[in-house]
Amino acid sequence: MRFRFCGDLDCPDWVLAEISTLAKISSVKMKLLCAQVLKDLLGEGIDYDKVGKLTADAKFESGDIKATVAVLSFILSSAAKHDVDSESLSSELQQLGLPKEHATGLCKSYEDKHCALQDKLRDTSLRLRRLDSVSWRVDYTLSSSELREVNEPLVHLKLQTQGTEPGSSDTTVVSISPDKFRVLLTELKQAQAMMNALQ
Amino acid sequence: MLLVLSEDHKEHLSFLTKADGSVVEEFGRLALEFLRKGTNPKIYEGAARKLCVPVGMVQHGVEGLMFLMTESSKHMISEVDFMDSVLALGFGEELIQSLLQLYVQHKHQIRSILSQLLCNQPAYHNLEWRLDVQLASRSVRHQMVPMVTIRLLLTRSSDVGSTQSCMDLQTDPSSLLHMISTLEAALAAVKTSDARRILRNIK
Repeated sequence: MRFRFCGDLDCPDWVLAEISTLAKISSVKMKLLCAQVLKDLLGEGIDYDKVGKLTADAKFESGDIKATVAVLSFILSSAAKHDVDSESLSSELQQLGLPKEHATGLCKSYEDKHCALQDKLRDTSLRLRRLDSVSWRVDYTLSSSELREVNEPLVHLKLQTQGTEPGSSDTTVVSISPDKFRVLLTELKQAQAMMNALQ
Repeated sequence: MLLVLSEDHKEHLSFLTKADGSVVEEFGRLALEFLRKGTNPKIYEGAARKLCVPVGMVQHGVEGLMFLMTESSKHMISEVDFMDSVLALGFGEELIQSLLQLYVQHKHQIRSILSQLLCNQPAYHNLEWRLDVQLASRSVRHQMVPMVTIRLLLTRSSDVGSTQSCMDLQTDPSSLLHMISTLEAALAAVKTSDARRILRNIK
């Protein structure tokens, strides 16, 4: 069976198994659980104590709690990844055996945070060496050991980029003569015009 | 098979043969903690003071016991062989029994710890990808070049824990298709009759 929220592939076996665990808690509690999982997916952190309290009635062990959080994260992030609308998601979840109230609750939470989730996923997409900041300085060289009267301006550029490890940053310092700098600026302006044409 | 232990090793363990059961059990526990977390000199000093022996002897005793356990677990020797090897070292009957209990209880744990020590190759951890289309470059405008950028995250476990490394790769769609078909052929090789025959014999 092909499901849109799994990217037109079969639903993974573990998701099928955990949907029956999800049905054990009430639909109100499940909606609150979805809110917590969405907070985690949006990078705001998850409050495990609250999750524990919500699942305490159904007497979930720690393994069940982890499984519930994992299956909700998978369903919500996968649906956002493949841009599934909430009615299709609701009907597909009901096909998998999730009761109707649970499916409607989940899809309502999904619909509210659908755009925010997609923006967050877009931000965390693979980017090689993101540029963090640029700082510059213009100097005027008066004289040097090679030539007594130089009298030339010089541009120093400092580029901060994110390194390959998360949280590390690399610094590149370049000094450019005026002619080369004019060439660089013209080329970058052409690239910018092309980018604007695409927007 | 019987364990063959060096003379130094036998000397280190000779101190334990004269000790009584509770001491040997305590030393066994210390040896297993050593395997899991490393040594703690304060514990050795405390034990040495209680038994009125030099600290070096306590340390050698624990290390000797730990080596005995790891060698036994490494070769997966049977209980009978273990008892015979320990008998050859000069241990008394009840000490042999307590050492046997220690070995049987912790054999699998020790084997799993030992297997973690030996992974030298970086192993696959995660794969991130993006699909781009290059529309223009400095030299050529109005292009249409699709490219897939891949970041391969690898972990390598070593003495000090695991380190992560990442590798950035770029490929065009036809190379990607070729890569996919090669990898699928590799997966299909597991299902050939030759591979199945070998797996049956290993089981």
